[in-house]
Amino acid sequence: MSQPAQPGLAGRFLSAIGEPVVYTWREVTGVARMAALVFQYMLRGKIRWDAVAAQMYEIGNKSIVFITFTLGFLGMILVFQAGFQAEKITGDLQLLGALFLQILLREFAPTITALMIATRVGTGIAAEIGSMVVTEQVDAMRMNSAPPVEYLVVPRFIAGTIMMVVLVIYAVLVCYLAGMFTGLYAFNVNPHTFVNFAFVSVLDVAVCLVKALAYGMAIPLVASHTGLRTHGGSAGVGWATTQSVVSCSLSVVILDFILSGLSYPLLAAAG
Amino acid sequence: MTLLSALGPGDPMIRVEGITKYYLGATVLDGVTLDIPSGSNLGLMGPGGAGKSLLLKIIAGLVEPDQGRVLVDGHDVGTLDAHKLAQLRFNIGMVFQNYALFDSMNVGENIAFPLRQRGGVPEEEIQARVREQLALVGLPGIAHQYPRELSGGMKKRVSFCRAVIPAPPLLFYDDPTAGLDPVTSSKIFIHLRRMQQDGGTTAITISHDIDGIKPICDRFALLDHGRLVFHGTRDEIEASDDRLVRQFWDGFSDD
Ligand SMILES: Nc1ncnc2c1ncn2[C@@H]1O[C@H](COP(=O)(O)OP(=O)(O)OP(=O)(O)O)[C@@H](O)[C@H]1O
Ligand SMILES: [Mg+2]
Repeated sequence: MSQPAQPGLAGRFLSAIGEPVVYTWREVTGVARMAALVFQYMLRGKIRWDAVAAQMYEIGNKSIVFITFTLGFLGMILVFQAGFQAEKITGDLQLLGALFLQILLREFAPTITALMIATRVGTGIAAEIGSMVVTEQVDAMRMNSAPPVEYLVVPRFIAGTIMMVVLVIYAVLVCYLAGMFTGLYAFNVNPHTFVNFAFVSVLDVAVCLVKALAYGMAIPLVASHTGLRTHGGSAGVGWATTQSVVSCSLSVVILDFILSGLSYPLLAAAG
Repeated sequence: MTLLSALGPGDPMIRVEGITKYYLGATVLDGVTLDIPSGSNLGLMGPGGAGKSLLLKIIAGLVEPDQGRVLVDGHDVGTLDAHKLAQLRFNIGMVFQNYALFDSMNVGENIAFPLRQRGGVPEEEIQARVREQLALVGLPGIAHQYPRELSGGMKKRVSFCRAVIPAPPLLFYDDPTAGLDPVTSSKIFIHLRRMQQDGGTTAITISHDIDGIKPICDRFALLDHGRLVFHGTRDEIEASDDRLVRQFWDGFSDD
């Protein structure tokens, strides 16, 4: 079968669409297969807790200052913008704190934290595992019957999941406090008025935690998968690092879309 | 616990059958076929980029070939399940070209790793064997150092220790003396030969140090651009009139 030397416009258009679709499909199935393997190892009790603890420490160490700053500033900005708009329209700032807490739990705290972790921790995982691949450390593990998924991915998966929940709870606190002080100093909203749980139910807290869990599982899996697929020397590690930011952020946004869609009817029914 | 041998009488320990590998549109290995009898040490030579390291990784089951198959100890490496492959690999020690030391572990932990993975060796014995190995390669007392603190030649020797410490019946060396001074280099080669004579190991030794491997190998193969140009015994290589074989064996270039 002979092929045209230059594909036509339609051909180029299709391949431009086809390539990312094929890539994404392979990525998704690869991550799913790896997740299945991770759960198998966990069920068989093959968990190296010392490695989990080391990873938890590393993730916390890498992220705490970063999250304090980003979520702190975000809290100030959000409350300032919302208060500014509300003042112009209704002039009533009674419910500022209550509404802020609701959107913080449902959306901002888990998703922004996850995006931060995707860039900070996800790249670290991809680069670390990627450089182990190109320096043949992963081959050396396999030659000693130490499966890379058990040794490298399982600890990062467990640590990432636990730390994501912890960091999201911390992010809610930081962001909320920053918002409260902005309310006080920018709009003279008394903290007693700002702290108002009227719009927050158990369901909102559940949505927040479920999102944190989902992101916490997805980021280490996607980043490890990218890292293990590294090839071609140190240039490959650069590729894996960049690819990991894109894939991790994308999976956070897509999971957010799905989980928000699923939780909306529940939240609406609960009022 | 290791995998039982599936060798029939007269079967070679390693059989490589028509291994072909494509990479980025090029044929990097082209129908490589060779046998390595039990107890022999094959010296694998060839110019840079010929595919020596890749062939070794395919034999170890680390890279899948596009065509052909590899039998190690009678087992088809490509069809073994993960558990059996892991068991088979307990029989293999491997020195990687780029050392492949674990950054996160110190030298002692790196060398002890294969023993700890295999299990059943008491901790004091592990420590004693690590010390013994390090002394053998002329690096006593560095067990607590990390790979990043070592020179290339030191890393190579640590990598050597890690490969041989469990005394595996099969040994794959990818340039075990690269970056070593001649004295240390010959120490390693002598150690390597002693293991073979005493333990009856089967080995593949990739090296650019042809004079170094001449006395320790009993079979030789020459790979060039992915094709096996020569494969045979010492007598055969000495009698060969292939130009590249002569250049490698006699150690000069006539153009
Ligand atoms: N995992 C792989 N899959 C496919 N091709 C590979 C792989 N790794 C390396 N190659 C290709 O195989 C070719 C041979 O590389 P290899 O490292 O085996 O050479 P070599 O003979 O060991 O050279 P040197 O003497 O410099 O170590 C290279 O062109 C390389 O791009
Ligand atoms: Mg090589």
